[in-house]
Amino acid sequence: MAISTVIYNTFFRRNSIFVGTVLFGAFAFEIGFDSTIDKFWDARNSGKQWKDIKYKYVEKDDEE
Amino acid sequence: MASRSVIRSAQSSALSSSLKCSKLAAPASGSAAVVDQKRYASNFYTTDNTYKVPDFGHYLKKNKGDDASRVYSYFMIGSLGLLSAAGAKATVQDFLSNMSASADVLALAKVEVDLASIPEGKNVIIKWRGKPVFIRHRTSHEIDEANAVNVSSLRDPQEDSDRVKKPEWLIMLGVCTHLGCVPIGESGEFGGWFCPCHGSHYDISGRIRKGPAPLNLEIPEYEFSSEDKLTIG
Repeated sequence: MAISTVIYNTFFRRNSIFVGTVLFGAFAFEIGFDSTIDKFWDARNSGKQWKDIKYKYVEKDDEE
Repeated sequence: MASRSVIRSAQSSALSSSLKCSKLAAPASGSAAVVDQKRYASNFYTTDNTYKVPDFGHYLKKNKGDDASRVYSYFMIGSLGLLSAAGAKATVQDFLSNMSASADVLALAKVEVDLASIPEGKNVIIKWRGKPVFIRHRTSHEIDEANAVNVSSLRDPQEDSDRVKKPEWLIMLGVCTHLGCVPIGESGEFGGWFCPCHGSHYDISGRIRKGPAPLNLEIPEYEFSSEDKLTIG
């Protein structure tokens, strides 16, 4: 059986499974997308964010 | 309608003459028109046909029968739905998170205090949501004093047990209920707090006893998260 037939029978034959796959895919996509963009943002701005320079000031924070 | 039937009858007479079977030629009534139509079709195919219909098989897909093309279509539809769902969810979430408390507010919302460092008979003032909070570790003598007061004689009648969760710990907002000054601890005529602005006297349970203030010192929400840990807020 051709791969396309297998895919068709697995995901697209029933609308409930099709919609369910789309929604689950959206959920998984969002997690992956968010973490990827966050990683990119942190890499792009490394050394500028508070979490990168916190060690310089964290003792001062404790005294207050 | 009339013009169409005229055309039909003209056609039928022309065709019937070409077929040489004029007895089938009927007058142009409803059922006769159908008969004419059949004769027109048969005439078309019986004549010698020199018109060649081209072969369009060249344009047909080679894999017309299998599922590849509809899998492709459904995949594209599903991908669009997936991206739309993720985008819609993110949009709604952004709007809703706009309404919730921001990080700086949440950071001020709760304060944890280590009670083990406060000795008996001492006041501690901490800042909570921009306001001072008095914490007093009361002695047993002070607890008895607070309970001995005749509640009905007070301006804002309140039992001492309604104002504390553990009798030895009195926790209240250090804001005078008159005009919002910060009272001074361990002073005043009743051994509690005294507001220097307009001379309100509070007793050892923080209740108003003398002066212009109308109400007792306010009690914030707090709980003892463990034996000697206090969480305000």
